[in-house]
Amino acid sequence: MAGYILRRIFQTLLTLFVILTVLFFLFRLMPGDPASMVLDPKMPPEAKEALRRQFGLDRPLFTQYLFYLGNVLRGNFGRSFQSARPVIAIILERLPATLLLFTTAVILSFTLGMWIGKLIAWRRGGPLEISCTLLGLSFYTVFLPWFGMLVIWIFSYRLDWFPLGGILTPELWITGASTWAKAVDVLHHLALPLLVLTSVMFAGSMLVMRSSMLETLEQDYVVSARAKGLSERIVKNRHAARNAMLPLVTSFTLSLAFSMSGGVLTESVFSWPGVGTELVEAVMAQDYPLAQGAFLLIAVVVLVANVAADVLYVVLDPRIRYR
Amino acid sequence: MNWRRWLSVRRNPLGFLGAGILLCFVLMAILAPILPRLSEIYDPVQGMDPEILGTSFPSRRHLLGTDAWGGDVLSQLMHGARTALLVAVVAAATSVAIGTLIGLVAGYFAGFVDGTLMRLVDVMLTLPLIPLVLVVSSALGQLSIWGVVLLIGFLGWPGIARVIRAQALSLRTRDFIESARAYGAGNVRIILRHMAPSVLPLAFVYMSLTANGAIFLEAALSFLGLGDPNTVSWGMMLQWCFKTGNTFRAPYWMLPPGLAISALCFSFYLIGRGLDEVVNPRLRRM
Repeated sequence: MAGYILRRIFQTLLTLFVILTVLFFLFRLMPGDPASMVLDPKMPPEAKEALRRQFGLDRPLFTQYLFYLGNVLRGNFGRSFQSARPVIAIILERLPATLLLFTTAVILSFTLGMWIGKLIAWRRGGPLEISCTLLGLSFYTVFLPWFGMLVIWIFSYRLDWFPLGGILTPELWITGASTWAKAVDVLHHLALPLLVLTSVMFAGSMLVMRSSMLETLEQDYVVSARAKGLSERIVKNRHAARNAMLPLVTSFTLSLAFSMSGGVLTESVFSWPGVGTELVEAVMAQDYPLAQGAFLLIAVVVLVANVAADVLYVVLDPRIRYR
Repeated sequence: MNWRRWLSVRRNPLGFLGAGILLCFVLMAILAPILPRLSEIYDPVQGMDPEILGTSFPSRRHLLGTDAWGGDVLSQLMHGARTALLVAVVAAATSVAIGTLIGLVAGYFAGFVDGTLMRLVDVMLTLPLIPLVLVVSSALGQLSIWGVVLLIGFLGWPGIARVIRAQALSLRTRDFIESARAYGAGNVRIILRHMAPSVLPLAFVYMSLTANGAIFLEAALSFLGLGDPNTVSWGMMLQWCFKTGNTFRAPYWMLPPGLAISALCFSFYLIGRGLDEVVNPRLRRM
């Protein structure tokens, strides 16, 4: 098992290396070089040359590439064009908000999808199955930013139950409220983005759970569990659902990228101060170092979640452990 | 394979629902040029109603209301259908072409080529598409609608490549490929003339699912402000509505484009799922 985890970590590092390489050459493909983006065109040529030397742009491309890899390994992503602050500081500041929204939404939608999937497979062919499938698929394909706007319009603007966006109420935090009040404040802000992201994501796990459960229900051990006279509830939850969960974990790993895409859009609509919002703003402001850094951080979050899900899978299914 | 038997409304109601919705949008796109012919205030790009010059509630003159400059929402919506269908067809065709080719090459050569290409597929499938498209388009600068479409097409191939590769792996050992090789056919000829026709039906199934992703991506890019500002698209309509602060004041401007994007994605997804059931016998039982 340790070998398996080590191999997965090595693969992940390889993936990161590929991403880094592609990013480097992608941004070197741009018309002009990175320096010409920051430089004032009216600058005298000697000053330009000095700056280019300072950025290392007068060296061969391959040397630049090695320097770039070395810098990234040391956590040096350069400075933001806009604020001149180190990129790493900006994005790490934004990371907790993204992790909060992403992990809660992933866990909630997974649980919800599993639970509903189990239920509709159990009552196959009923009106519940059709309505849940249609509803789930509509949410799955809804245009997320629009759905977010709709939710804000209804629940914040018309009903005034939730704040319009952001992660906290600044006044509350300046006046020094209790930790409890602050936590409630953050949860209050989290509610709507979480609702949007969860609604969009749960259908994926629901459909997989449903088909997997339908397959499991035909297995011999379910028949024998019934024959033993176990109650239907125990057959459903202990014997069928537990075994049906395994394909769900695989599909969960595959859906992480999709969830993160949704997360970026959700953050942007709700002005949630996470890495996704930062990425969108950096791209709009043509702040290339910041955009690259934010993208890398998002990729790392997804990759780490991937490894975590794979390890979880091995723990859940002993059949895989000894392969 | 007896596919026709599975192409019936009774067996596949959701797939036909999707086809019905798609048909409505195709009609909308075809009928789009009618409105601007009636009066120039209905022009989707420059048209504005000189008597209104601002947002207005749906009326007989403007069935879906007007935008912040007095432009007709219905006319823009109908022209948006043209953009969306164009994006869907061109981007999906690009993805399917690249994905099929790479899948065939990986499956045909197997071994090292296959391993390398599939690792690349794995990497691309792990990456979230929206951030990826954002960062790539920031490196490329302002894109025209064709640039956006090609970018989406070039990023959407990995899923298809994986499916086609699995097919190609089983095809390469079949007798007709062996005999083609014995006759002295080259690799290129075997891949294009002998293997490609067998996997094309499968590729077309996935075209529908890719189209759904392409429409979503184009709309998301436009919504975030990275689309082509000279195109009338649903994502652009939403962006203008959001940007001018009319999301809540003029919901009749905000609702139609988003609903249209969602409905079209929904229809492509249902069609893709339905076709998947037709060609994928394993899914039928469920």
